[in-house]
Amino acid sequence: MAIIKTKSTPPREAPLSERSLIGWMHKHLFSSVFNSILTIFTVCVLYITLKGLWAWGIVDAVWIADSRRQCFEISSGGACWAGVFDWLENIFYGRYPRDELWRINLGGLLLLLWIAPLWLPRVKAKVFIALSTMFLYPFLAGYLFAGGGKGVFMQMMISLSILCLLGNTLHAAIGMIKGISLSEFLTRLFSKKNWHRKTEHCLLLGLFLICFCVVYFWQMSWQIEAVAWTQWGGLFLTLVVSGIGIASALPGGILLALGRRSKLPLIRILSISFIELFRSVPLITVLFMATTMFPLFMPEGFALNKLAQVIIAVCLFNACYMAETVRAGLQTIPKGQYEGAHSIGLGYWQTMGAVIMPQALKNMIPNIVGSYIGLLKDTTLVSIIGLFDVLGMLRSVSKDVVWLGMHKEPLVFGAILFFLICFAMSKYSRHIEQKLLTGHKNVTANKRKK
Amino acid sequence: MMNDAITSIEREQLISAASNEIIIEMETVNKWYSDFHVLKDINLVVRKGERIVICGPSGSGKSTLIRCLNHLEEHQEGNIIVDGITLDKNLKHIDHIRTEVGMVFQNFNLFPHLSILDNLTLGPILTRKMPKLEAQAEAMKYLERVKIPEQADKFPGQLSGGQQQRVAIARSLCMKPKIMLFDEPTSALDPEMIKEVLDVMIELADTGMTMIVVTHEMAFAETVADRVIFMDQGEIIEENEPKKFFNDPQHERTKLFLSQIL
Repeated sequence: MAIIKTKSTPPREAPLSERSLIGWMHKHLFSSVFNSILTIFTVCVLYITLKGLWAWGIVDAVWIADSRRQCFEISSGGACWAGVFDWLENIFYGRYPRDELWRINLGGLLLLLWIAPLWLPRVKAKVFIALSTMFLYPFLAGYLFAGGGKGVFMQMMISLSILCLLGNTLHAAIGMIKGISLSEFLTRLFSKKNWHRKTEHCLLLGLFLICFCVVYFWQMSWQIEAVAWTQWGGLFLTLVVSGIGIASALPGGILLALGRRSKLPLIRILSISFIELFRSVPLITVLFMATTMFPLFMPEGFALNKLAQVIIAVCLFNACYMAETVRAGLQTIPKGQYEGAHSIGLGYWQTMGAVIMPQALKNMIPNIVGSYIGLLKDTTLVSIIGLFDVLGMLRSVSKDVVWLGMHKEPLVFGAILFFLICFAMSKYSRHIEQKLLTGHKNVTANKRKK
Repeated sequence: MMNDAITSIEREQLISAASNEIIIEMETVNKWYSDFHVLKDINLVVRKGERIVICGPSGSGKSTLIRCLNHLEEHQEGNIIVDGITLDKNLKHIDHIRTEVGMVFQNFNLFPHLSILDNLTLGPILTRKMPKLEAQAEAMKYLERVKIPEQADKFPGQLSGGQQQRVAIARSLCMKPKIMLFDEPTSALDPEMIKEVLDVMIELADTGMTMIVVTHEMAFAETVADRVIFMDQGEIIEENEPKKFFNDPQHERTKLFLSQIL
């Protein structure tokens, strides 16, 4: 018997259990006796634990006071947030001279300005922007933070980075408006139609040199006051150390991972021993080694300050961890991808750069961001070897005469601060994952999975 | 094994495009995987424009043989001369030969993180230093030739197997190779997609491309091949024109193989 459907079924409204709050609760919280007990139990536990915290931190807390004694007088059982607020500037900037704080703020602002084009649509050459952030911005920021006299090399790098920042911003603006790159825009503006490509390159180079000279002579005219690294501190120092660590961990890790998989025995053995050495030693040991033993390896008269040594140690340590993450990512790539790339004539670096690494790193985003978060938290260890990073500052609140003995509140504040930063990082990594995933998987299938 | 109703190709044998110029020469090539002797004294001469089909049971070394031709596999003894260049450890030679020899794989090996168009332009831009716009225009031409220009902005994961394999063929063609190697191009495809890939390959053969194809598609071999090579246990056992090969096989093992596959 043949079955032929003559009428199509019109869509009907979903049952109430799918649409209402009570339906949702029934399905997700009270679907069985055991689940109901679990739900009630969890709610009880949450109530008991959060009640005390709520009372201490919000209800009984003192927000405005001049000293810890006054806090006690107002409310003896609550938190004394007034102390944290009083120390806020110290927690963020450490002992940096108060008149020079604008330099730190300006440094942060410039970084934002520098990397902002990465998030704008229609802007081209994002790789260049990212690379210039990594290799040029540190010079500009470093001078802004440290100040003092400029050597010729520093002058060159500072002018180059100022020029690069201006160029990036201009490039982004032109990209947003016209959808072309800065160099394209300049060639169209100045050159004639029948010009050869070489002449166009010369023109761009000339423009670049002129601008460079202008910036160079301009920057010679100013100089900012030197601030010794011993005055750096607080969240600012934490972000400097972990920022440099984050920026250098990935490139270093990639190189070490490639070295570990290299066919050349010497490179392979060196990479493996380097990675295993650093991975099998706790970070705090590496930090102590860096500050006490590093000078022994250096030639006579070559002295680095403690901060630089610490930063180098953090970078190497994290590069080694990152190397293992990258290696894990490389192992997720099937052999066919290498063969596909080789079959169209790509060499080793081209294969790695254009085919293998983008996929390997994309697969490893959760792990990479995980290491970054770990790195950020690990940098608090520098407070043990005498740098006043954010943790060091939080702990010195209790030594302040006015707020003597106040331990709890600053540390709770520090916990909230770290949570906010780390949570933002992991949220952002989820966002990137989603964005990259929709790029080349079947979009509809992907949505269904969610 | 093979479903003739789907994969048979109703076409007359193509006219041979073979010239006298030798483009590939293998002289007593031997290869081992540690102790296992995969290729034994392989001698093979391919002329420009010639189309060769290699068949044989699995594990007979046919894939290894063509993978030696663009040095995806290294041989230990003997000489392989491709387009006048002897394959040795010199990386420049290898990279050069790989730009001249296109290869299509059983599993496509497209780059999943790049769009179809980017898959095609990657090689010309990076190895031939072609400007991006020019490379894209070229790529679109080849996508039209394999009849999927409308898929240019999609990603490989969004395409069917047959479409992916056609993209893979177009990707190789973008390098303007002198020789095309096919390593079981239809083995990973559903039956209804085999034909679309074979059609593209036949059209390619029609343009006079030098092709070496490892395949079990005997109907394709009959239509396209100038020579059919039968391999077993790492040796070339029989080599003949397709008509004689299929109608009058000489060697016992060839007869056995053909009786199983046809």
